[in-house]
Amino acid sequence: MKVVTGVVGNDIHVVANRLIDLSLQARGYEVFNLGVNTYLEEFFDAVIETNADILLISSLNGEAEGWCREVNILKSRYGNLLDKVVFMIGGNLVVGTGDSDDIIPRFQNYGFDLVFHQVDLNTGLDALEKYMEGKTK
Amino acid sequence: MSLLQEEREIILSNEYVDNFDFAEVEEFVKNASKDLFISHNFKTKNKMLVQPRGGFPTYDKQFALNEFFVKSDVDVLPLTIDSNTRLNDYATAKKMLRLSEENEIDMLNGYPLVSHGYRTTRKMITHFNKPVSLRHGTPDARLLIETAIASGIFEIEGGPITYLLPYSKNFPLDKAFLYWKYVERVCANYSKLNEPINRESFGPLTATLVPPCITIVIQLLEMLLSLEEGVKSFSVSFSQTGSMNQDIVTGAVIRKLAKYYAKEINCEDADIHLVYHQWMGAFPQNKDFAEQLINMSTVIASMVGADKIITKTREEASGIPTKEANAKTVANTQYTLRILNGLPNIVDEEEEENLTNEVKDIMSAVFNDSADTLWRKVFNCIKNGIIDVPFSPHIINQNEMITVRDKNKNIRIIKRGNVPISDKCYKYEKSKCDLTKDTTSIVNDIIHDIGIMQW
Repeated sequence: MKVVTGVVGNDIHVVANRLIDLSLQARGYEVFNLGVNTYLEEFFDAVIETNADILLISSLNGEAEGWCREVNILKSRYGNLLDKVVFMIGGNLVVGTGDSDDIIPRFQNYGFDLVFHQVDLNTGLDALEKYMEGKTK
Repeated sequence: MSLLQEEREIILSNEYVDNFDFAEVEEFVKNASKDLFISHNFKTKNKMLVQPRGGFPTYDKQFALNEFFVKSDVDVLPLTIDSNTRLNDYATAKKMLRLSEENEIDMLNGYPLVSHGYRTTRKMITHFNKPVSLRHGTPDARLLIETAIASGIFEIEGGPITYLLPYSKNFPLDKAFLYWKYVERVCANYSKLNEPINRESFGPLTATLVPPCITIVIQLLEMLLSLEEGVKSFSVSFSQTGSMNQDIVTGAVIRKLAKYYAKEINCEDADIHLVYHQWMGAFPQNKDFAEQLINMSTVIASMVGADKIITKTREEASGIPTKEANAKTVANTQYTLRILNGLPNIVDEEEEENLTNEVKDIMSAVFNDSADTLWRKVFNCIKNGIIDVPFSPHIINQNEMITVRDKNKNIRIIKRGNVPISDKCYKYEKSKCDLTKDTTSIVNDIIHDIGIMQW
């Protein structure tokens, strides 16, 4: 399975991004890592270019909130090209402190299938694997 | 008129520069107090020089910070530049400076040197009569260093590799080499007038599990690129690795090889210095623990025999430090240096030999690249992963090398990627680690190894 990943916005926190890349590879995914400082359009274009199954966006500095409000609007501009793609986001999703119970439904509304706020990397990836298994059944 | 001078005139004819007077600046450098030159301080002060970090937007706040530093017996004053100036956005820097001046809140994370200009800044520098080190992170620092030297700042940190790979995703590396060539030439020319201008490379890089061989190779290459343009005083540097033994070995090897490679290009007349950065990774939140860590870094710097130490503060984990906290570190570090006597001499021949071989393997590969000039060889080697910096965000970096800590917390290479260390060295590195682990537990180890000082 193919995954496009990267850090959204003007966020240069590279450490987690490299570790996500390594961990996805270890789990057998084919990874297209766009790195830090990536804009939504670049993510979507890469998903189409690589015919990816999953888009995994991460954020550390909390900028995700600002960028991800645009996901559905932008998605609609691509017609049905992105309909089968699983949208996942994880990291530290808001500036300051926030409650996961509020954050998760909000990001689901923005257009994400899987949302992880301040969750351990491997816990998040386990959940992704389970979700993908459920989809193919 | 030389091509360089033509370029200088273009760089300095800029709406943000108030009439740059070449002749007056030359006269100033020629007659400047020797105390302002760190290259002179290295020769005359028989001690490890202590330099903190710090930069505030307004002249008054920067002046107050310097006063605090001087009271704490500082050896070298820092001048850290704000991020807008670093990215050549002088318009924003100017606006934010005005807002900071009018509202008593700091709207910049450093001193906007170009916006203040050299005439103003020179008053502060000559007032304190201490050497000042320019700390920035700028890929195109041409206007910045012209302004710095004209202000009386005679140490310039940075380099085309060390100021790019840790900080930028897509600034073109080839351009950075050419912009820094300008910096080296201007520093070399001014060095003929009085004591030499010192250039310093930024060894910490990403400060995230960078193996010593990569740090040293990049330090040596930036040194060579600088010396070949005529710079006569250069500092190589590295930051605390997390293992005292690895620090001592790194210090010994970098010192030895810096001399060796300088001689190879017939530049053995240049003075080479060694700078040690206190821990550059994530700091503990507990401020008392942070002070312990800082103190331990000072002890290690002494064991390494560094010529200069760059300090952190007890407030490192919580943001830009106050001037009080910053000055406190300087005083504490000076105290530790005064009472640290009778240090033992530790030599680990096996580790030194292994590290020396690794560095020489990579350096040979760089020199054997088919390009015609050194900067092009280095450019090619970064592009094809012969030089690979762990956790660099830059698109040109290969990201194939994987490093972890062994049981003594030494940083070891467990996947070399395209980095051409010999099979023997690679085997030695891997023999220190548990290679039976799966990737998931390696990733967990890496997370732990990065945050080693927080536990």
